Amino acid sequence: MGPGSVIETEGLSKLYGRSAYALRDVTVSVAKGEFVFLTGPSGAGKSTFLRLLLREELPSSGRLVVHGRNLATLAAGQVQAYRRSVGFVFQDFKLIPRKTIYENVGFVPRILGVPVAQQSRRTFQVLKWVGLQHRLNAFPAELSGGEQQRVAIARALVNDPMIVLADEPTGNLDPDLSLEIMTLFREINAAGTTVVVATHDRDLIRRVGRRTITLDHGQVVETR
Amino acid sequence: MDRLSKPGRPEPGPIVRALQYHLEEALASLWRGRRANLLAVITITTAMFVLGGFLAVTSNLRQVVTRWSAAAEFSVFLQDGLSGPRRSAIERMIDQSGLAASREYISKAEALVRFKRDFPDLAPGTEGLQENPFPASLEVRLRSAAVDRKALEALAARLAGTDGVADVRYDRRWLDRLMAIMGLVQWAGIALSGVLVVAAALTVANVVRLALYVRRDEVEIMQLVGAPIAYIRGPFVVEGILQGGLGAVLAIVLLALAFGATRARYGALAAGFFGQTPIQFLPVHLSILLVLGGTIVGCVGGWVAARSVR
Repeated sequence: MGPGSVIETEGLSKLYGRSAYALRDVTVSVAKGEFVFLTGPSGAGKSTFLRLLLREELPSSGRLVVHGRNLATLAAGQVQAYRRSVGFVFQDFKLIPRKTIYENVGFVPRILGVPVAQQSRRTFQVLKWVGLQHRLNAFPAELSGGEQQRVAIARALVNDPMIVLADEPTGNLDPDLSLEIMTLFREINAAGTTVVVATHDRDLIRRVGRRTITLDHGQVVETR
Repeated sequence: MDRLSKPGRPEPGPIVRALQYHLEEALASLWRGRRANLLAVITITTAMFVLGGFLAVTSNLRQVVTRWSAAAEFSVFLQDGLSGPRRSAIERMIDQSGLAASREYISKAEALVRFKRDFPDLAPGTEGLQENPFPASLEVRLRSAAVDRKALEALAARLAGTDGVADVRYDRRWLDRLMAIMGLVQWAGIALSGVLVVAAALTVANVVRLALYVRRDEVEIMQLVGAPIAYIRGPFVVEGILQGGLGAVLAIVLLALAFGATRARYGALAAGFFGQTPIQFLPVHLSILLVLGGTIVGCVGGWVAARSVR
C-alpha cells in the first residue's frame, strides 16, 4: 500500500457466474483526504466497486485494502467495525419512512451505543450542517428529493467516518440540486474526509473538477 | 432544543440503552404488524391453554388420589363362624407386620348396619333376608401413604392364604391403576401440548420473519452502518419474547376464567365426588412455569427468524 493511501486495489476482479466480469483487474489508489469521482456508463462496474468497498460482497480475485486492512480477510465481527468507519449515500436515499428526519439520523449513533447526550448533540449538529434543523420532526415523504438526500448525507456523517462513499447521489435530482449536494460533499472533503462519488454525470464532474477514475466494462480506462 | 438531554440527568448505561432500544423497536413492530402478531399470540395462547388445562386437571386428580392413598384401607374379610383364637391369630399377623396404624373389627351385624346407613335406598332389600349376608371383617388403616408397597403386597398375600380369611381387599391396587392411567393422560396432554408448542414456535418464527421482511430496508441500513449484530437481531428476538409472554399470560387468564366458570357450575358435584375437597386452580409455580414456557417458545421463534440476519 502506497504512503498516504486510504483505498488501494491491486488486480481487483469481481466475477458473476462463469464469465460475467463486473470488475476486471482494477488497480487504483485513493489518497487520504482525496475526493475522487468514479464514472463510466451504466454497467461499467461503479456500483460493484462501491459494494466491494462497503464489504457487501467479496472480490473474486485481487486485493482490496482500506486503511491497511484487506477487506477479504475481515471476520464477520470485524466487518461491522470496519463499516462504522465508512459513511454511505445512495441514489434512492434509503431513508426509513416511518421514522422522522431526526430519528433517521439519530438511530445510527443510537445503535452504535453512543451515550444519549452525545447522540442528540451530534444528530442535531449534522442536521444543522445540511440545513435541515427546522425539519427535525418531518417524515421523509414530506421532504423534496434534495432534502431527502441531505438527510442521507447527514446520516452518513453522523458517525464521523473516515471515508464517505456515494453511489449516484444526484441520480434523482435536478442539476441545481445536484450541484448543491456536490457542494456538501466538497465541504465534507475539505474537513479531511476521503470522498468517493460514483456518477455517470460528466457535466457535474466537470463543474466540480476533481480526480476522476473512468470505468468501462469493469476495467479502468482512464484516470485524470 | 427539547431533544437534547437535560443537564444533570443520569445517563443510562450501554446495556440499559440497548435493552430500551430493543423493547421500543419490538413494541413498535408488534403494533405495526398487529394482525399477524395476534395470530402468533393466539397460537401460543392455545398451546399454553391446553398444556395448562391438562396440568390443572391432573394436578387436582393427583391431589385427590394422594389423599385417597393416605386414607387407604386394607380390608380382611373373615369366614363366617370364625373362632376367637383364629381371629386373634390373624390380628397378630397384622399387628406384627408393622404396617398398620390401627385396626377395627367389624362384625356381621355392624356390616349390615353400615350398609343400611350408607345405602338407604337399598336397605329395604335386606329386610326379607333369612340371614345376614355380610361377612365380618378387619379394617386395617395403614400407617402412611409411604408404606413399603412390596411389604403390603406380601402381607396381603400371606393373609389371603391364611385359614379363616375369605378375601383381602386392598384399596391401593386400584389407586395405583388410577395413578398409572392419570400418568398416561398427563403424558398424552404433554405430547399434544408439545405439538402445539412447536406449532406456536413456528408461527412466531414466521410472523417475526414477516416483520423482518417488512423492515428489510431498515435492517440493510443497520448492517451498512456497522450496527452490532445483537442490535440488529435483538428487537426481533424481543418481539418473539413479547408474543410468547403475552400469549402465555392470556392463557393463564383464560384458564382462570374457565376454572371459575367450572367451579361455579360443577364445584358442588366435584366436591361431593372428591370428598368435600374444592377443586384447585393451577399452583402458582406451575402458572409461573407456564408463562416462562410461553416466553421461551416466543424467544426461540424470534431467535430462529432473526438468525437469518447475518
